[in-house]
Amino acid sequence: MDNRPGPGPASGGGKGRLPHRGLRRLLVLLAAVPLPSFVLLALFALRPGRVSPPWVLATVLFGILATAGVAGLAVRRISRRLREVEGQRDSFFEELSRLSRVSSLGQVSSSIAHDLNNPLAILNEEAGWLSDLLSGAAGADGPALRAEMTASVAQIQEQVRRAREISRRILSWARETEGASGRVDLNEAVVKALHLLEGEMVERPVRVQRSLAPGLPPVPGTVAEVRQVILHLAKNALDAMGKEGGTLTLATRASDGKVVLSVGDTGPGIPRENLERIFEPFFTTKPEGQGTGLGLSISLYIVKKLGGTLEVESRPGEGTVFHVVLPAARESGEPDLPGGWHAGRETAPGG
Amino acid sequence: MRVVRLLLVDDEKRFTETLGKRLVARGLFVETVNSGPEALAALESRPFDVVLLDVRMPGMDGLEVLRALKKAHPLVEVILLSGNASIHAAIEGMRLGAMDYLLKPADLEDVLAKVEEAFEKKKVAEERAKEDRRSRGLP
Repeated sequence: MDNRPGPGPASGGGKGRLPHRGLRRLLVLLAAVPLPSFVLLALFALRPGRVSPPWVLATVLFGILATAGVAGLAVRRISRRLREVEGQRDSFFEELSRLSRVSSLGQVSSSIAHDLNNPLAILNEEAGWLSDLLSGAAGADGPALRAEMTASVAQIQEQVRRAREISRRILSWARETEGASGRVDLNEAVVKALHLLEGEMVERPVRVQRSLAPGLPPVPGTVAEVRQVILHLAKNALDAMGKEGGTLTLATRASDGKVVLSVGDTGPGIPRENLERIFEPFFTTKPEGQGTGLGLSISLYIVKKLGGTLEVESRPGEGTVFHVVLPAARESGEPDLPGGWHAGRETAPGG
Repeated sequence: MRVVRLLLVDDEKRFTETLGKRLVARGLFVETVNSGPEALAALESRPFDVVLLDVRMPGMDGLEVLRALKKAHPLVEVILLSGNASIHAAIEGMRLGAMDYLLKPADLEDVLAKVEEAFEKKKVAEERAKEDRRSRGLP
């Protein structure tokens, strides 16, 4: 995938702009009727020497009504167009989020390969040792040979069990990616997302602090959507801490019928001038080829779609915390999806 | 001929045990440990020629061990072992002074060939160091 920032479909070429030609035509048409009438009326009401107050009043009223009418029509037209543009943006983000799911699967596959190669490496050695034992290269015989072979066979069975667990995990990941919208256990999603990030963490000195409130109400959305938000935020937190590592904090809690997930790092923090831009698509401070600048905008899109908000707190030199505030899913199992894009808000208090 | 003294470092206990037994059966002197700090402690107290080192270990990872090891024992040769083909880790490992890189699961022939190569390399380096000392009139 091309990671370089560039003019994507969101940066608003032809289709995203207001319909200049249509709007102009409309204004011309509207002005064509009331404007001349208004002028004629005004000339009549203010005939030199014969100013009649009722006509002046009528002219003023006509002027106000005509202006309001024109403005009203224009506003309706513009807001319809805005809704269309918003729809386009939503489908763009929907597509982006699908694509990023695919790319995070690619990332995760490296960790899966590692997990799977460990039992495979042991299986390889056990098979080799068994053949050493059988060929006499191991120099064992009698009861010792028997004991060695029994231990190896048991180990082969054990490692096959381990590999089967990993393959089940991959399958469940694939299934959840296509899951239906409904009620998601946020704590479980956090645990599973962390599992997928293990590969990223083992190579750097990162301490994970998990504080998951028990008995949280479920949140709306699909497991894949919720996990994607967690993965993007946690991945950003890990990247922010870099090679030096630090503490990754994942905390959940319930508050006023809402469910809050906080993802924190002990990295260098986000400079104030960047805080306002971090949710912009394609904005990234990662080295070229390492970040698409889409993780946070996709996360914000998903969170807003689920009726929630995404907030950030950052203190330079101390670290950054992202708070995902989601509504609790409705009892009926129907996803709770009020509003649309506008249901959320971004706040960047900074520090 | 001198026997290769190999230190096998991997957090998977059974992996070190079985690979260790197979290498012993092929005439090597092998010691196994299951973490970075254990590896460094073993190197402090006993001489080794080659270290077969897993990159991904909980706590102190292979690259950290490699860094500390090369500082304290520059002549000991290191071969990295990894479960995933992370180019990044391979390059970093070479930069830190590892001789080579093996992917898990690895064939025993490949392991033996690399260990042999590392051992030869170490013997040459030791010879050179000895001559160096001799030419400077040191014991």
